[in-house]
Amino acid sequence: MPLFEKTLYSTDFSPLAEVALDYVKKLKEAGEKEVVVVHVVDDLSIELPEGADLLNEKELYKILPEVDQEYVTSLIERLEAVKKILESEGLSVKLYLKYGNIPKQIVEVAKKEKVKLIVMGAHGKGLLTEILLGSVSTDVIRNADCPVLIVKRREEE
Amino acid sequence: MLFEKVLYPFDMRKACLGVKPYILKLKEAGCKEVHMLYVLLPSEWGFVAKEEYDSEDKIEALRGAIDDGYVDGLIRIFRKMKEVAQEFEEKGIKTRVVMIPGELDETIGYYVEEYGIKLVALGVTDESLSFFRVGKVLDIIKAVDSPVLVVKSPEEDGCQQLQ
Ligand SMILES: Nc1ncnc2c1ncn2[C@@H]1O[C@H](COP(=O)(O)OP(=O)(O)O)[C@@H](O)[C@H]1O
Ligand SMILES: [Mg+2]
Repeated sequence: MPLFEKTLYSTDFSPLAEVALDYVKKLKEAGEKEVVVVHVVDDLSIELPEGADLLNEKELYKILPEVDQEYVTSLIERLEAVKKILESEGLSVKLYLKYGNIPKQIVEVAKKEKVKLIVMGAHGKGLLTEILLGSVSTDVIRNADCPVLIVKRREEE
Repeated sequence: MLFEKVLYPFDMRKACLGVKPYILKLKEAGCKEVHMLYVLLPSEWGFVAKEEYDSEDKIEALRGAIDDGYVDGLIRIFRKMKEVAQEFEEKGIKTRVVMIPGELDETIGYYVEEYGIKLVALGVTDESLSFFRVGKVLDIIKAVDSPVLVVKSPEEDGCQQLQ
């Protein structure tokens, strides 16, 4: 059964999201073939349309103020680095850099790409480190149609 | 091993079967043991002496202490869980079936810690995640420090009790 064939890995590049990446890699043994990697930006200095695609809409990139351009470029580099890691594991990878409401965009990409599972951290870069379950993960669990794997800590081997 | 020991909380609603195929599939990624846990909530079962009920004998020993009807109910649930556990055993996954009295999140949190559980696998209904129920599922995720796999089933179907 192709239960884990196509997964979505949602990352804010936090340490816990990095732990989640270990799980994404491991799922290859259970039949995973393709990973959709998603990062959502909601903090640019100008307002863009909800769901704007910062990876492929080149015109959009051009209208951004310089600081935002640099920021977006650095995010693309980080996504590319994740892509490399997963490809070296023999997985095929598709990247998304979206603008808008974070959980909403994650859930939408999951739908559009018909992924079988979303893998993400229980918390991220939020300011409250004692938080047990972040707002992005809570919203994704509530609204996703597919199963969600919430990762909480690094495995001590 | 990231998926070696899986805790499968079982609540006798159809929705909890939704996660079963995923656990079976995880065998390929290293799952060796599945612990099926039924939590005896005080709100449903009243006071039951704190113990890990992992055999019919232990449940039978409750006769006299709690109502016979309750003991029969527990035996019926235990057998149902054993029946599901058989599917894991047939695939070469070791199982433990156990009932523990307590609150849901605390008991699951305790179990994960005590037995070195690597993944909690939850089969739930949409309803259990609604704002109105203020998500028991979310409480469970908060109570454990292992990863949690959440598989949702549609409401109407998922709420049905297993026979
Ligand atoms: N901007 C984002 N883009 C993609 N994924 C994200 C983003 N923010 C958070 N996530 C995902 O959600 C997880 C939980 O983060 P979040 O709910 O925001 O917690 P916190 O409140 O601690 O920041 C992260 O580990 C990551 O997997
Ligand atoms: Mg955050």
